[in-house]
Amino acid sequence: MIQVLGVRKEYTGRCVLDVPSLCFEQGKRYALLGANGSGKSTLLKILAGIIKPTEGTVQSEAAGKNAVGYMPQKPYGFSFSVLRNVTMAIDACPNRKEIAKSAIGAVGMSTLINADASKLSGGETQRIAFARIIAIQRKLLLLDEPTASTDLNGIDLLEKALLNYCGETGCTVIFATHSPAQAMRLANQVIFLQQGLIAEHGESKQVLHEPQSKAAQAFLNHWKL
Amino acid sequence: MQAVNDVAGLLFGPDDELRKIIWLTLRMSFFSVLISSAVGIPFGVILGCLKFPGRGLVIRVTTTLMGMPPVVGGLIVFLILSNSGPLGHLRLLYSLEAMVTAQVVLITPIITGLTANTVGVRYKQVAETARGIGLSPSKSLSYTLFECRRQMIAVLLTGFGRAIAEVGAVQIAGGNIQHKTRVMTTTIMMATNMGRFNTAVALGGVLLLIAFLINGFAHFFSKEEDA
Repeated sequence: MIQVLGVRKEYTGRCVLDVPSLCFEQGKRYALLGANGSGKSTLLKILAGIIKPTEGTVQSEAAGKNAVGYMPQKPYGFSFSVLRNVTMAIDACPNRKEIAKSAIGAVGMSTLINADASKLSGGETQRIAFARIIAIQRKLLLLDEPTASTDLNGIDLLEKALLNYCGETGCTVIFATHSPAQAMRLANQVIFLQQGLIAEHGESKQVLHEPQSKAAQAFLNHWKL
Repeated sequence: MQAVNDVAGLLFGPDDELRKIIWLTLRMSFFSVLISSAVGIPFGVILGCLKFPGRGLVIRVTTTLMGMPPVVGGLIVFLILSNSGPLGHLRLLYSLEAMVTAQVVLITPIITGLTANTVGVRYKQVAETARGIGLSPSKSLSYTLFECRRQMIAVLLTGFGRAIAEVGAVQIAGGNIQHKTRVMTTTIMMATNMGRFNTAVALGGVLLLIAFLINGFAHFFSKEEDA
């Protein structure tokens, strides 16, 4: 379980995130939905420990070196092979090459296994970054718009790989997305953010089909159209 | 045609003074860049990757020093190494060591600033991905440096280009003494003043050729390969 207590983040005096209390249960999948600048990425970075909140704390049971996997919005493709890009996350495993090949296969990138990852497209880099995250058993996955640059086939592969991984490991997933459809497909719960505040939080079907807050209603109107 | 023959004669003829001048210039530039890199690269990495109080001020001071006039750098070294200066007892003024010191004063801020800029931008991208998969900060840094290897070679070549083409500081700290501290740029200046234009043109040509090669290498290493 992960508890967010009184977390507030300010940049040069401007509050970009204010979450008084939020709880993520083990094994569930959460979608962070909201417009640009609503605080989704900031919340994920705080949960991952990439940035520190101005106020408040995050208490997590997912402790340990590889317990948490965080995939940034624009992951970096290192200038060596795709295989090495994945094995770098699991250097301590004796059979890392086999594990990496399996993860690369799961995201449909086997044909590019020896390609230079720094020369791949944005969507391909996202798929490699996702393979890097799922190459090892983790308790918590934090994914910042993991399919933002990916084509439809890639999205399908990534979503299937994510659901398989969750089924096998029972990990908690928190992901940011702009797609209500993706939130519906993947998430048990949806957290709708607006200007750094939680506008709505609940079961996916409830939030996406019967939003209560005006912000969520306005955002989802575009989807229905 | 006669001018070309004269230049070739000076460069490849029996008198080896010009060749010694070129060799001394290359040695001076090499050691200047070597020492500046040993100081400037670690400092640049710290400045680019770490956040600490006063970092903004240090960056502004470094940026200011990057544009320091060479004669000012030479003057500082002259005052320190002259007989009445704090290091006068070392008797280093008008020597290769003095010229290298003056060059180091000029080039170190350039290497520091360029390193901070190059590594800092890349570190931000690499560190987020690396920390996201549980890698330690030291591993993030080593991957960042690996990813910056081409640009770092370009930074060193830029420093070398500055060192080899510089005249003011080496003139003041070295004194342009024949067979001792006479380098290409000071020789060109002196030869022009004396009306020995063939010598000035010959050395100018060699200097331009070296600058062209350095710039070519710097461009080759700094450009990103096509995706």
